[in-house]
Amino acid sequence: MTTPPDRIAVTGLGIVSALGGDAPTTFERLIRGERALFGVGAFETTGARSHLAAEVTGPLPDAEPGSLELSRSDRLALCAAREALACAGLGESVESGERFGLSLGGTTGGMAHAESRLFAPDAASAGLERARRLLSHPLSATAVALDRLVGPFSSTQTVCSACSSGAVAIVQGASWLLRGDAERVLAGGVDALCRMTFAGFDALGALDPEPCRPFDVARKGLTLGEGAAFLVLEPEARARARGARILCFLSGWAVGSEAHHVTHPEPSGQKAATLMARALAVGGLGARDLDYVNAHGTGTLANDAMEARALLSVLGSDASRVRVSSSKGQLGHTLGAAGALEAAVTALSLERGIAPPTGGLNQPEEPALRHVLGTGERAELRAALSSSFGFGGMNAVLLLERSDAAPRARRTALRRAYVVSAAVALGAKLDESAQPALHAEPFDADPLTRLDAERSRRFDRGAAFTTWAALEALSSAGALPATTGLAVGNAYGPVERSLAFLDRIRERGMRFSPPAEFPQLVHSALAGNASIYAKLEGPVAGVAAGSESGPAAVACALGWLELGQAEAVVAGAIEPRDPVVSALLAPGGERGEGGGFVLLEPEARALERGERPLARLVAHVEERGTQRDPLAWTAPRDASRALVLFTPSHPELERWIAESPWSCVRRIDTTASGLSHEAVSGQALSLGVDWLARGLDELLVVSGGLVARFVTRLSTWDAGS
Amino acid sequence: MDQNTLIQAIKRMLIEELDLRGKAPEDIDEESPLFGAGLGLDSLDALQLAMAVEERFGVPVPEGEAGRAAFASVRALGEFIARARAE
Repeated sequence: MTTPPDRIAVTGLGIVSALGGDAPTTFERLIRGERALFGVGAFETTGARSHLAAEVTGPLPDAEPGSLELSRSDRLALCAAREALACAGLGESVESGERFGLSLGGTTGGMAHAESRLFAPDAASAGLERARRLLSHPLSATAVALDRLVGPFSSTQTVCSACSSGAVAIVQGASWLLRGDAERVLAGGVDALCRMTFAGFDALGALDPEPCRPFDVARKGLTLGEGAAFLVLEPEARARARGARILCFLSGWAVGSEAHHVTHPEPSGQKAATLMARALAVGGLGARDLDYVNAHGTGTLANDAMEARALLSVLGSDASRVRVSSSKGQLGHTLGAAGALEAAVTALSLERGIAPPTGGLNQPEEPALRHVLGTGERAELRAALSSSFGFGGMNAVLLLERSDAAPRARRTALRRAYVVSAAVALGAKLDESAQPALHAEPFDADPLTRLDAERSRRFDRGAAFTTWAALEALSSAGALPATTGLAVGNAYGPVERSLAFLDRIRERGMRFSPPAEFPQLVHSALAGNASIYAKLEGPVAGVAAGSESGPAAVACALGWLELGQAEAVVAGAIEPRDPVVSALLAPGGERGEGGGFVLLEPEARALERGERPLARLVAHVEERGTQRDPLAWTAPRDASRALVLFTPSHPELERWIAESPWSCVRRIDTTASGLSHEAVSGQALSLGVDWLARGLDELLVVSGGLVARFVTRLSTWDAGS
Repeated sequence: MDQNTLIQAIKRMLIEELDLRGKAPEDIDEESPLFGAGLGLDSLDALQLAMAVEERFGVPVPEGEAGRAAFASVRALGEFIARARAE
């Protein structure tokens, strides 16, 4: 166990944006006040109210011909990732054997790539086959591509919290460093412009027909953009030891959700203000120490009014002094990339002592704020916030400090002992026979019937399952604080629903794209819907990692808990029945559905509430190659009272287990038990907790392959105390 | 389309487009307000309805005060559509 590092240094960054293919070009043009909002070139926008976007027009790197088929998001990410690594003095790829993590945020993944097939002239006659790219380039595909092309990374994570995804990914990276799970992290976000988001935001009336004007009295909406950005994060001591240049420090963070509405921000701005204050507090700073805020500032009526109120509230008497600007008037709103892109812009602002302007802002609606107009302003910038407020009220705020900032005591508590306070399995059950066994149990009722009809309008099967599971977990664990979070693993997102939305655009043009449908199509919708229904105000996100989405969501939850962002987190995975996914992945065969969630909290917290935890989380690790985590794999105390659940069915994975100190423990292949979908490892985890209540002492859940796998070790609560 | 047929079509549209699960056309009061207290709809629902009215009845709903008046109730929406079609 390594000791927590004192501070997190930003030692490299990379940006690809509509203003330039690298960070220096982007920043130079930003401070000159240049704007890259032009007519959309990538696709037809017939029928839309707006026809503008900030598109990346320069050349992008690609994989070797005949190797990997990269989506536009993959190529944007590859470009920014290579620049960030080179900027940090690390060459263009990671050295094998390093404990180097990759934390990525995004909202659309390979959607632009899938659309190019779906909108091809012969698409209508190609049947479901045309949708195959939706499954071959899901949200998690970019992390897989980067792992191949600039890795190998020791751990990877893909999160989606709508427009705060990039910032949330950076916070995840920070948690790995502070836990000692990684020695260095590449963290950032990416999104390519695509028809789905363009038509969706247009239908919502959220696009300004003219180039967007954040914070201006005349603003009419946002302008979409695309891009990618990454930061290289490492502990200060390690950065100094290798003589790396420190660009700035990542000193604070706050992740939380509003539990208010699927598209509207909470209008008073109080929730956003609380988050900004929390980020400052983590870094031990106050408004007086702040010199710049890179605002979310989308240009929509609702966001900018809310954000101006929040800024006035947080900055107080410093509001007339602290410079504020939004980069979206020049770079567009890059959605899942925005949080990372703007963090990178903020880092450059601190490093160079220049606050960039807000493009398009002529007459500020809130004159009490110190807006930067026209071109960048040279100034003494010691510390800055970068805010991201996403759909569904999923928000994140980062605090960055200049490289000469004096070290201070960190106020982030690092907690190590976690317990499971509730477990909910969907679509599977334990067998009561003498020999432990599990099997699929199809749902007998529509999950929507379990929810209030009015509050669950537009929920699909996945959202209904997620909400119901979260409510079950919360109620069986008793009273929980409002800062309970939710991490929902899911492999593909709502494929059938997305396809129907796109078919409608193809057939009818963008004028008739249904506005209320669009917010349900983003990967974070399951988590967002459930958080609003169950009133969860902690961190909330979707997590994508194929068949490892369940354990990846648990890893995400542990990051939030370690950073003190949540008192408790419901984490797991869900894979609802989707006709398109079934037809493509199991043609003519059986494909199950289901999921599983656990409620995780610090042991001390559970005991304070007078709860007797269901299980102790002994270890939760992502292993790569032939690494074997010692804590997870230490021999069980009594092999006859232990069990291994593993997935998928693969002889090499079974051999990996058979060659471990758990070789003589009974093993169950969960996939072979009929649980044939990507949420199987989330199911295994929640069923495993049930087993611990029925006489087992220890349990190992292993999922993945020989390249990368998650290992979760649970014991009965008293076993470890 | 006579007035009664139009009202029924509007009610069906409300149920389908706004996902009013468990509600039947006869559950919707023609006079009560659609937004706020009545059916409890919000501005996202208003956008969806505006799109659906144009798609189903061929009548674009203007933004601002005129649009708000059209969405005052089922009956008001019926009158708005009938008037627009007659012009």
